[in-house]
Amino acid sequence: MVSIATARIKREFKEVVTSDELTKCKIKLELLNDNFTELKGEIGGPPDTPYEGGTYQLEIKIPETYPFNPPKVRFLTKIWHPNISSVTGAICLDILKDQWAAAMTLRTVLLSLQALLATPEPDDPQDAVVANQYKTNNKIFVKTARHWTNIYAGSTLAAEPEFDSKVKQLIDMGFDNHKSRVALSSHLWNVEHAIESLYN
Amino acid sequence: MKVTIKGYTGVAVWKWVANDDTCGICRMPFDSCCNDCKYPGDDCPLVWGQCSHCFHMHCIMKWVNGNQKSNQSCPMCRQAWKIKEK
Ligand SMILES: [Zn+2]
Ligand SMILES: [Zn+2]
Ligand SMILES: [Zn+2]
Repeated sequence: MVSIATARIKREFKEVVTSDELTKCKIKLELLNDNFTELKGEIGGPPDTPYEGGTYQLEIKIPETYPFNPPKVRFLTKIWHPNISSVTGAICLDILKDQWAAAMTLRTVLLSLQALLATPEPDDPQDAVVANQYKTNNKIFVKTARHWTNIYAGSTLAAEPEFDSKVKQLIDMGFDNHKSRVALSSHLWNVEHAIESLYN
Repeated sequence: MKVTIKGYTGVAVWKWVANDDTCGICRMPFDSCCNDCKYPGDDCPLVWGQCSHCFHMHCIMKWVNGNQKSNQSCPMCRQAWKIKEK
């Protein structure tokens, strides 16, 4: 017998791929296996945000108890955002936790994630370093987020050449590309502090 | 399948009357049954909440009997789930 989880994902999948609203919002859904338990989502960064122009890949796992429990979702594309871990891609969003309701769908989830990119909730952070920067140094936060969009999410807008040259400085010292970028991003692009943290 | 005539509306096709035409939980149309049943009708009834949302009884029971505390609310509008007695 087909489980309710499988049957529902099948129906939802049809709804998503046939909806033009979703192509307009730059949302995609792709099946990764035949039993409808693993999917790949994709959302476009919303306009007028530091994520504009970026494309974000999401890992979606459907529990056997879906839709009575929420799907497990994380970002595969690296992102600088207060509610998304810059390390693991884990997401802090109420509807993926205790605010889930059985009537919600993958479409609701993808649209909510897009909304989360547009309106971060720094008081309920998943990444404390990013959240703190968002609150105390918003200008640097925006530039950093934009830089990550450019490097990891494939945006052709908004490169920060000054940041690139700082990362290169650290790479030339023998540090790993991504680690250097994380260290610089976490230390307000202060090269000295970033190097210090990489040595610790 | 056994159909009980509850009222005569002058419509030839038998259909559940619902506020929406699909169950928000299993996303099956209300004239089909939930995922666990084979035949729609008396064996797989619909229930209405006081918030006026409607579900297959089997579907809403699974949600309400789940062990999360949020499960006590309507999956559509999050108001407390109370069955509307007719
Ligand atoms: Zn149902
Ligand atoms: Zn049923
Ligand atoms: Zn309701």
